[in-house]
Amino acid sequence: MFPRVTAILVVHRGGDHLRRTLAALDSQTRRPDALVAVLTDADADAREQIAAASPTHVVELSQHLSFGEAIRAADRVLDDPASDADALWLLAEDTAPAPDALAALVATFETAKSVAIAGPKLRTWDEPDRIASFGRTMTRTGRSVALVDDELDQGQHDGLSDVLGLDPAAILVRHGLWRELGGFDPALPTVDDALDLSVRARLAGNRVAVVPEAHVEFAAGGVAGPVAGPRARVVHRRDRAARAAQLHRRLVYAPVVTVPLHWLTFLPLALLRSVRLLLVKAPGAIPGEWAAAFTTMFSGARVPRSRRQLKRSRAVGWSAIAPLRMQPDEARRRRQQAAEARRARARGRTEELQFLGTGGGWVLLVSAAASVALFSWLIGATGVGGGGLLPLSDGLAVLWRNAAYGWRDIGTGFVGAADPFAGALAVLGSITFWAPSFALVLAWLLALPAAAMGAWFAASRLTERGSVRAVAALVWAFAPPFLIALGDGRPGAVIAHVLLGWLAFAAFGAATSWAAAATASLLFAATIAAAPSLAPALIVAWAVALAVSGRAWVRLVLLPIPALALALPLIIEQVGRGNPLALLADPGLPVDSAVPTTWQLALGFADGSWGGWDDFFAGVSDVDYRLALSALILPLVLVALAAVVAPRIRSAALALGVALLGFATAVGASHLAVAAVGPADIALWTGAGLSLAWLGLVLAAVVALDALRRGRALLGFVALAGVLAAVLPTAIGIATDRVAVAPAAERTLPAFVGAEAQNDSRVTTMRLTPDADGSLRATLERGRGATLDEQSTLADTAETLSADEEQLAEIAGNLASRSGFDPDAAIREFGVSFVLLDAPPVDAERAAVATAERARSALDGNAALLAVGETDFGVLWRFVDAQADAPAAQIPEGAGGWQAVLITVIQIVVLGAALLLSIPTGAGRERDRRSTVRRSTLAAGGPAAGPEGGAEAEPVAESEAQPEPEPESEPKVEPEPEPEVEAEPEAEPEPEAEPEPEAVPDSAPEREGDHDGR
Amino acid sequence: MADKLTLARTAVRIGARGLAVLAAAGIAVGAVAAAALVPWPEHRTEAPSVVVQPAETGQLRVCPGPLLSIGDDPAAATTASSVGSADVTSGAVPTDADVTETPLAAPDNSRADADGPPLALTTEPGAVDAGMLAGAQSQTVTREGLSGFAAASCTEAVAESWLVGGATDVGRTTLVLLANPTAVAATVDLRVIGETGRVDAPSALGIIVPPSSQRVLSLAGLAPNLVSPVVHVTSTGGAIAASLEHSVVEGLTPAGVELVGPTALPAPTQVIPGFVVPSHGGVAPADDHAEGDGFPAVRLLATGQEPVQVSVGVVPDTGGSGSTVDVTLEPGLVTDVPLGELDAGEYTIRLDGDGPFVAAARATTGVPEAQTDPDGADPEASVDLAWTTATMPLIDTAIVAVPRGPSPVLHLANPGGDEIEVRYAVDGEERSITIQGGDAASVDVDAQSVVELSGVAGVHATVTFSGDQALASFAVQPPGPLDTPIRVYPR
Repeated sequence: MFPRVTAILVVHRGGDHLRRTLAALDSQTRRPDALVAVLTDADADAREQIAAASPTHVVELSQHLSFGEAIRAADRVLDDPASDADALWLLAEDTAPAPDALAALVATFETAKSVAIAGPKLRTWDEPDRIASFGRTMTRTGRSVALVDDELDQGQHDGLSDVLGLDPAAILVRHGLWRELGGFDPALPTVDDALDLSVRARLAGNRVAVVPEAHVEFAAGGVAGPVAGPRARVVHRRDRAARAAQLHRRLVYAPVVTVPLHWLTFLPLALLRSVRLLLVKAPGAIPGEWAAAFTTMFSGARVPRSRRQLKRSRAVGWSAIAPLRMQPDEARRRRQQAAEARRARARGRTEELQFLGTGGGWVLLVSAAASVALFSWLIGATGVGGGGLLPLSDGLAVLWRNAAYGWRDIGTGFVGAADPFAGALAVLGSITFWAPSFALVLAWLLALPAAAMGAWFAASRLTERGSVRAVAALVWAFAPPFLIALGDGRPGAVIAHVLLGWLAFAAFGAATSWAAAATASLLFAATIAAAPSLAPALIVAWAVALAVSGRAWVRLVLLPIPALALALPLIIEQVGRGNPLALLADPGLPVDSAVPTTWQLALGFADGSWGGWDDFFAGVSDVDYRLALSALILPLVLVALAAVVAPRIRSAALALGVALLGFATAVGASHLAVAAVGPADIALWTGAGLSLAWLGLVLAAVVALDALRRGRALLGFVALAGVLAAVLPTAIGIATDRVAVAPAAERTLPAFVGAEAQNDSRVTTMRLTPDADGSLRATLERGRGATLDEQSTLADTAETLSADEEQLAEIAGNLASRSGFDPDAAIREFGVSFVLLDAPPVDAERAAVATAERARSALDGNAALLAVGETDFGVLWRFVDAQADAPAAQIPEGAGGWQAVLITVIQIVVLGAALLLSIPTGAGRERDRRSTVRRSTLAAGGPAAGPEGGAEAEPVAESEAQPEPEPESEPKVEPEPEPEVEAEPEAEPEPEAEPEPEAVPDSAPEREGDHDGR
Repeated sequence: MADKLTLARTAVRIGARGLAVLAAAGIAVGAVAAAALVPWPEHRTEAPSVVVQPAETGQLRVCPGPLLSIGDDPAAATTASSVGSADVTSGAVPTDADVTETPLAAPDNSRADADGPPLALTTEPGAVDAGMLAGAQSQTVTREGLSGFAAASCTEAVAESWLVGGATDVGRTTLVLLANPTAVAATVDLRVIGETGRVDAPSALGIIVPPSSQRVLSLAGLAPNLVSPVVHVTSTGGAIAASLEHSVVEGLTPAGVELVGPTALPAPTQVIPGFVVPSHGGVAPADDHAEGDGFPAVRLLATGQEPVQVSVGVVPDTGGSGSTVDVTLEPGLVTDVPLGELDAGEYTIRLDGDGPFVAAARATTGVPEAQTDPDGADPEASVDLAWTTATMPLIDTAIVAVPRGPSPVLHLANPGGDEIEVRYAVDGEERSITIQGGDAASVDVDAQSVVELSGVAGVHATVTFSGDQALASFAVQPPGPLDTPIRVYPR
């Protein structure tokens, strides 16, 4: 008796796929004995086509069920199998078998009785000479791996017969076994359903085979198995299903005692794998990773049901299938192949900067030499002070505590958000962990070369000419706002200026790689942290870049996330106070400066000076130094404006727009004063805005110079010479150390207090400063004195006094008066040990001197205080009853509470993710998302466009969506019998984060618009 | 044809480029102009602060204590010892407030046990307002080597005071009395400036005055042979109430004694009210050879680094124009300026300079020449000496203690432009007196009484005593600034 073969055809959509499938069925040499059509939520087209095919049964399902469920529904209408030879042929609407396919499959059943499941050679629908799938196996840790993966069919696999598993499309299953095994596991709806069935069949003592002679064309439209295709959403869904399937199988296959252990490892593994996904630049796969872990962990009775089913049918041990698993050496070989493919893809994509070839080395040398000349007095110093510079806290723990939400250890102290700048300082201080304050010396010494290099690299994205790059780097490094900030000791402005160049460089590359985008997001966060006044301008620039970035928007859209994570607690607090403008306050020690006029701003001088030119020309009355100075800056401005006639109009417009934004920021800053120190309100530093404006000018000038055919070097050097001449007096002032910044000791309090701080790190000094209007400023300093990292804009910008501050004022006012007040209240309330009265400056107002006299006389006459004497910092007294480790001086236990933990964890996660993502391990893993035209015309473009465009059109790029074997870095944990209980993290198909297919199809028309001719 | 087309295209392109550059330049200029010309809104934060009213504290005044004589004990020629005891009058407002008299230790006075120590007058915290405690002392001595009448107010202890008066040339003895009423030891630096400049006296620096005690130093030991010393007292640690005891012996005859309190702090304008000239006489201001102290004079010292031009106006309290003397003060050199021939009477001396200086005026009774009379019994020859110091303007209320002494008079000078109505209570009887701007007035008060003044903001006041062989004065000073409210910025 011939075996009865029932073909089950699962149909969702009608159309060409179905038509071809039906036609192929019709032309089978060995026709199926019955055809059951399962319409799962099918459209009218499909109904019509199915009706025309007149199947034996039609099963209508109103829901869109999985392949396994649909087959199960069809099986219900079938009679019990009459013999062992009866078989089911599982077809989908997009499986078109070759005419002899069924004959070959049935022949296998007949010749080998032990074969229970036979699978055909699945070939790609559109390219029948390529193998889409041909058997499947598991690694020793249980990861599902296709045996053959998108290969040209040259008969190279035709010797294959016994396999561990199959893909579900067009497999022939013995009907009896199907019933016995209960069909596909309902917990595996899309991925690994047939693999699991095959494994169970093998454990039940049957064989599973592929039949090379049976060819089926398969479109992978999602009815059987996962949808194929490189679209990001499809890839993510497939990854997620694969991961969920793998985890489910792990719980099902594992020995019962280890199931809870596996269950517990899911979340830690998800974390580890997320880290890895970040490192391989596939952040889009992370949500699926976690979703898979959670859904599998809380899948209810599915795992027990599957385990029962497996146990019921199992006849042989796991060792029986061990030889069919993918062997480690084969896995290693595949890994090597994948790495090789990545390398091949990365080739030609890395941009050749030609650092030495275009004079980058010389620029570095020149800027380093200039830095040494300017800061020669700083070489060998252990600390730098003056202006807004203070030492950093000694000890990384304190440094990082000051960077996190919680206790703000300034003045009387309070619980609140940290300035993001404190985080930047913590990073800086951690570099020289043995002496954090030394990091500031390094920052000052390296600022000039670092800035020059940033601008050089940013310019390298716009031009290949060494001379233009050099001009850009030097004009940027000798920008007036930068030199003034260096001389005035404004760490925030200096860091912001250094980072802006690098930010531009990273932002240019953000479209091409996740690593660059993540780097840009970190630099964006650091820049805004160092100069919050830049935030509005940078956010506008980001929004514009997002709008014009086209396909690269995915990588740009998350750019502000790290900055937001850092600043959000601060934003919430300031907005809660009704003082959102205070968010713009310059972080660090507030330093007052004269508010510059618009003219000075337009020339780039941020401190209300004329760059020393007024002194320079003091003796020459018939030269207006302002006009002379303007004439020196003018060439740069003119060159920058000329960029509008350059071919790359978009780059020019963006750069000039940045310049305009920066200038607007500076003008806005000159009208704002949100922080206060003592009685003085502190104007926002306009230099940060001017740095941004300068960056725009430099980039626009680069665009303009790059477009020139002749004389570009000459014009560039004229602009550079003008700028250098303009900053010459400023530079001379720095070189001769006639500026606020100077080498400084690592303390801001007298040595006597410093010695005390050796034993009691919280020793508290009340610092009294007489002010010009006869008032008194009272602050508390702990340990060796105020540090830069403990400063808080929350404290500087508060418009009201806290109860603690009022109490401090009360105590200080009484200490500075003849008073019946109990002076020991200072010890009780704040743990004060010392009182330091700052000496009023030599040219102080009479009122300040009078206040100093009054305070001194009152403190002198106070029996509770013991005069220590005159110090370099002022007159010092010690409380007679001062306590060591005074309770009131300690930081309250658990300051910040759960919010501190929550906020810190969120910030660490976000920044950690950005950091991992920024590590450039992704070369070759990710695709360039820019369209060709943009690559060459946008600011983000540049010389690299040409080679990349070529590389992209190659098939290599298209194979990216293919699964890549991944390192299985963890050793197997469990013993032999149940090899399925794998440890992690092995990976599934190499995730592709990109939502979009390759740009190949549309690159041709776009190339037309490539004006640069590159 | 093609050439023309190309030419036209080139022209259009150049034109378009020119327009683009012009537009960009226009935007740039427009941006700068908008920044400069548009009155953008400003936001300047207001620094929060607290005005702290110091907690109430007890008022404290220190009286210099009995007059001292040096060298009375032949065995200890440099030791000071008191001669008799001083008579202290004190009072406070409200009158029922307790005034505690605490004796200070006087280790330098060998007879302190017998004659009584210097006294510190204190009130309980909050019992009286600042400045509403007053004390004064007086003493008459007639001893061989020391005779005359001296009166002094009990003053606040301060960190810095200027003592203008005294002399250490032949026949003159000047003692510096340093009282530290506080609970903290004071380290006192005395800087003595004379007519030849600053006197280098290392032993005058770093004098320790223990808490609640008085130290006495002979100025001659620090700076001998000075005709016109000025002593600048600064202290760290405890505060000091400083005064000078200036006594004169002409030949062998004692010719007066005075206790000189601190004068007003250096300022470009000084007022010396209630300068009493007992008898007609004097020396012309231009007289370079005036010696001795038998003529009215002012002692001036420019305390800054620059020379100071001072115009010294001597105006009789009875009205009239008075006289004006212009002097130039070299910085760091003390100048005694004779005030010319003055009629007997009461004067207000106004000094206007173009830089900070300190000042005090000196007068004597009797005719100094008579002292050369071998009898020495002529009442005319009996002289006394008085220093009248510059005063600070009073705050709205004040209280004056008048000790025992001959015909005490309270002098009030109103150097301002506005008329002031001063109310005062003598013996519980309220009276008032109106002082025109620029005028002065005097009120006879009872000895051993307390006078309460109100409405005296801006008024300068001095109490004088004058009688046969007696002349003395002390200044009525406002309370120090130490317990006024202060603005504190706690961040």
